[in-house]
Amino acid sequence: MLVLTSLCFTAMVLFCLAMTKHREQVIVHEVSILAVRFFRPLAWSLLSFTAYLSVDMYGWSIGPALLFGALTIAILLLTLLLTYRAKIVPKLAIVMSLMASISIFIS
Amino acid sequence: MPYLFNKFNLASHRWPVFSRILAATIGGYALATACSLFISQLLLNVVGKYQAIHIGLMLTFIVYACAAIWVFSVESASKAWLGLIKLTLFFTITTWLLMQFTDVIRS
Amino acid sequence: MKDNFRQSMKWFHTWVGLIVGWILFFMFLTGTMGYFYQEITRWMEPERPFIEHNISNEQLLDTAQAYLNKHAQGIDGWDIYLPNVRDQNLRVGWRHPAEPGKKRGKYKIKVLDIATGDKVASRATDGGRLLYRMHYRLHYLSTDISYWIVGFCSMLMLLAVITGVVIHKKIFSDFFTFRAKKGLPGWLDIHNVLSVIALPFHFMITYSGLLFFLFTYMALSTNLQTNDDEYREMRKEIYPRTAHLEKANQPAKMLDVSVLYQQTKTAWQDDDLSYVEMYAANDINAQVLFVRHETDITYNPADEVMINAVTGEVIAQQAKEYTGAGIIHNGFFSLHEGQFAGPLARWIYFFTGLIGTAMIASGLILWTTKRKPQQMKKPNGPDFGYRLVEQLNIGTIVGLPIAIAMYFYANRLLPLDMVDRAAWEAHVMFISWAILLIYPAFRPAAKAWPEQLTLAALVYLTLPLVNALTTDKHLANSLPHQDWNFAGFDLTFLVVGCCFAFAAYKVKVLQASKRFSKQSSKQSSKQRVQQNKPPVLAASESLLSLQQVNKEKC
Repeated sequence: MLVLTSLCFTAMVLFCLAMTKHREQVIVHEVSILAVRFFRPLAWSLLSFTAYLSVDMYGWSIGPALLFGALTIAILLLTLLLTYRAKIVPKLAIVMSLMASISIFIS
Repeated sequence: MPYLFNKFNLASHRWPVFSRILAATIGGYALATACSLFISQLLLNVVGKYQAIHIGLMLTFIVYACAAIWVFSVESASKAWLGLIKLTLFFTITTWLLMQFTDVIRS
Repeated sequence: MKDNFRQSMKWFHTWVGLIVGWILFFMFLTGTMGYFYQEITRWMEPERPFIEHNISNEQLLDTAQAYLNKHAQGIDGWDIYLPNVRDQNLRVGWRHPAEPGKKRGKYKIKVLDIATGDKVASRATDGGRLLYRMHYRLHYLSTDISYWIVGFCSMLMLLAVITGVVIHKKIFSDFFTFRAKKGLPGWLDIHNVLSVIALPFHFMITYSGLLFFLFTYMALSTNLQTNDDEYREMRKEIYPRTAHLEKANQPAKMLDVSVLYQQTKTAWQDDDLSYVEMYAANDINAQVLFVRHETDITYNPADEVMINAVTGEVIAQQAKEYTGAGIIHNGFFSLHEGQFAGPLARWIYFFTGLIGTAMIASGLILWTTKRKPQQMKKPNGPDFGYRLVEQLNIGTIVGLPIAIAMYFYANRLLPLDMVDRAAWEAHVMFISWAILLIYPAFRPAAKAWPEQLTLAALVYLTLPLVNALTTDKHLANSLPHQDWNFAGFDLTFLVVGCCFAFAAYKVKVLQASKRFSKQSSKQSSKQRVQQNKPPVLAASESLLSLQQVNKEKC
């Protein structure tokens, strides 16, 4: 569940970075256009991977339900962070995705 | 209540709104019922009687919701009534025709 | 209706949401607490013993069977509920024979003390069950009326959800947008964010809520197409049940349930037995049904093992057959109830439910915020309708959480030997809610908000204290026992109380800055903009904390 939530969070951050107005909130310095182009496909693929993972972990019926729950929490967290602590968002996303991948590899 | 009516403002607006509310609740219910009959007749030979009825019933809420939204989106209350009555009649008559048809097949 | 489609939908969304908003708030809040109803029940019966760690299922089953043999002879069906995360006591239950004139007898659950093997005598209370049943059985009303009211409200909720999506201008480009602004845009953003992030949940919970009473609401269509027998058969097809034998009236010795339990271990690899049902106990036809925790939203047939209790044979189960529509139907039920959810998923369910509650609350507040400037200009003061909405908002959004806390207070403080004690707990809740609904009528809204918020904070923060003074299941005891059921409850109260206190504080800051800005609006309008930033957050945070509040209540 925590793994799902953190992966969802990272995917959402990537979506966020793909949008100009939010990117400016989060990152101070300029990002190359090329990199920006990759954010959205990357986000979609991460999201699909999370969907696959949820099904793999909890089965066809419960998995997607939990995925939506995880998404809700992730977006809520992200929206609040964007408003009040925008600068830590990228760092948090990196930390969370790292922890998630470690726990996937361990199990 | 008088406040609500005032809010719908002016005598000219009051009755059409009331009429629409009636159309949405009663007319919408009639339409949803007719539609469920139609769907269950349509699916009768495909999935069996009980499941056909069940599917028709489950879809009623969606039909009901769409009907209510539609009632409040057209220009005039009379048009809303007319549309509902037409559709309900259409579903009822088609259902009746289908019933004749299934009887022919059975016999 | 209006000039264009979006305008008329906006109008529709506003009024559909407003007329049933408060009932929906009530339904969402009590329903959300329902995700923790077993936990609440346990907290409300403080006579129950603390959790006992590391007791094997076999031992638990033996204890339960011994008790049932002693006290439930002559009853056909026995149920044993093993301790789990949600309720950490062993419980047994059976249905009494029906009284003359009634369809079914009363179902009684007894909590067993594992140490003594006897039942725990706890106070009369309806616990969390009553609280969660309120969300579709509006307590004082008769069953039929409340089902129809609930259905009507859910239907309007469904309409509000659909029209809400239609009128949201930029659902994707504003996906993460939450501007902590003051007043209208701030509230609009809160409402939007809360609606969008949990949209699948909102739709699912509303639609499945309607499906629960499908045949009641669509009685016309059902009656047109089926007669009584066909209707019964159709229901059987939609809700398949495990078949079991009837009593043969030949007494026989049953094997120990704990021995029979060994056989389920070959069917299930893991050891997560949830409950046991026994049919025709101590009869030649005795059968035992072992059920494990749900692993599938369509009530997986493989989760059950039926065993003949006299011979010990596993009875081959004919797997429950669902029709395609039946799977969808039961799947929606299961999603609505969230029985399959583990502890973490349950919290997420709970939290999402609170997001729904907060969404309704923010929508209601939005209505008044939008009309406030215009209403304040009126020579005779605001309209009656505006004041009514404001009053109901305060009385419901803050009043209902307080009333629910009063329900818990009543549970701890009412005399134990009181007549109709369980009913009075609910009366206390509704009386206090009524008072809180009326109170804002005599206070200006600007005062009533912070006052009720402060009251709410006070009420929730003192609840663990009252618990400590009246029972021995307080934090100082429950934490060392690692009984997270009891401890979690008290801790949650504290968190909720803090949230309310924070909200009250923010509202006060907001008002103070407003007054300040009015006085000095001419001199320092620029400064004011900066000054006002906290208040903005205030408004938003007060809502957020509200919602947390509600959440934590459990």
